[in-house]
Amino acid sequence: MSDGYRILSLDEIEPVPHRGSNLLPLRHALGFRPAGVNAWAADAGGQLVPPHEEDSGNEELYVVVRGRARFTVGDESRDVPAGTLLFVPPRVYRAAAAEEDRTLVLAVGGSVGKPFESHGWDSYAVADFYRQTGRLDEGRAVVRKMLEDLPRAWYVPYNAACWEALAGSTDAAFDHLRSAVDLNPEEARGYMANDADLDPLRDDPRFAQLLA
Amino acid sequence: MNLAHLDELDEIEMADGFVWRPVRRRFGIRAFGVNAYTPREAGSQIVEEHTEEQLEHEEIYLVLRGRVRFTVGDDEHELDAGQLVFMSDPHLRRGAVALTEDAAVLAVGGKPGEPYQVSAWEAMFAAVPFAQREEWDEAIAIHEAALKERPDHSALLYNLACMEARGRRHLDALLHLQRAVALDPKYAGYAGNDSDFAAIRSEPGFPGA
Repeated sequence: MSDGYRILSLDEIEPVPHRGSNLLPLRHALGFRPAGVNAWAADAGGQLVPPHEEDSGNEELYVVVRGRARFTVGDESRDVPAGTLLFVPPRVYRAAAAEEDRTLVLAVGGSVGKPFESHGWDSYAVADFYRQTGRLDEGRAVVRKMLEDLPRAWYVPYNAACWEALAGSTDAAFDHLRSAVDLNPEEARGYMANDADLDPLRDDPRFAQLLA
Repeated sequence: MNLAHLDELDEIEMADGFVWRPVRRRFGIRAFGVNAYTPREAGSQIVEEHTEEQLEHEEIYLVLRGRVRFTVGDDEHELDAGQLVFMSDPHLRRGAVALTEDAAVLAVGGKPGEPYQVSAWEAMFAAVPFAQREEWDEAIAIHEAALKERPDHSALLYNLACMEARGRRHLDALLHLQRAVALDPKYAGYAGNDSDFAAIRSEPGFPGA
């Protein structure tokens, strides 16, 4: 295969747990930049699309690639077969569950009039999965890539600090937390105050210094 | 609930055998490009051979159903449902042929780092069935709607002029053709050999006349 393109099967992507669903992190796997694009997989009865609204202002298209899904949009529910496309505007409740084994749903999203910007939630889900399964080197590589991709977003070093705190690397966690506070003191300190992920750092004097 | 099955989408058959299934237009999506394609029959084109050099789009082609043979540059890949091609290089030539009659491909794309703009080709494709039936008013209306958003799109203006010339709106055709040529002089050459302009070619002001 030459540079400039890639062939991939959705079934090749390792599922990552995210908010009670199995995320197939397609955007993360490909490095796709024009839109958010991910897939969700579940067997019959399992949750496909986590219940949520798109507060970010994204409009989304869901495509049932395989199987059968029960979608709820607003207060309406429908069973839909493979080949169905559903459009959901921003700020409308949506969720889906699988009605058949090996159901697969693709989700594409973006905001009207704005260039797509990944906030890295999907990459963080991958890093978190690696941490929880003891694959720390792989997880740290994902975190490093996120820091390279979004150098000015305070929440990336903040999440990196959470990740390192949970992984037990206190010094690395404080380095990232300091970067987050430098980038956006108000937001970072606001989250630091009550974030359980940072509990392993709270008794360290550096934590109080960063909050001051 | 705003939904449609793939088989319920409009079917707009293009000259080289692929059938455009407008998804973005069906749902009014404005944040990214998304469309589906099916073949006229097994062995037909399903994805038009093209590059994305002009639009600089990154694209994903996901096989939703059936089996499809993609050609990317000099390489060939046969893909089944659930497999995809991610085209990160807009200069690479890409196209696909359906190996089964039930094949369907979903295409998602856009230009990285820029807000999505509706591609002008969608209006040109959408007007094809009306042009084939010589329903010029409808074909013209589709172009006019697209031009409201992209008033300086030379290809849209040129296509509109073609429809207007065929629909006997000769003055409008001439004005839009002149505007297309002012924006991109290559259209003067195209117009000289385009049979759509037979009725206005001898008019004063016709480019190159």
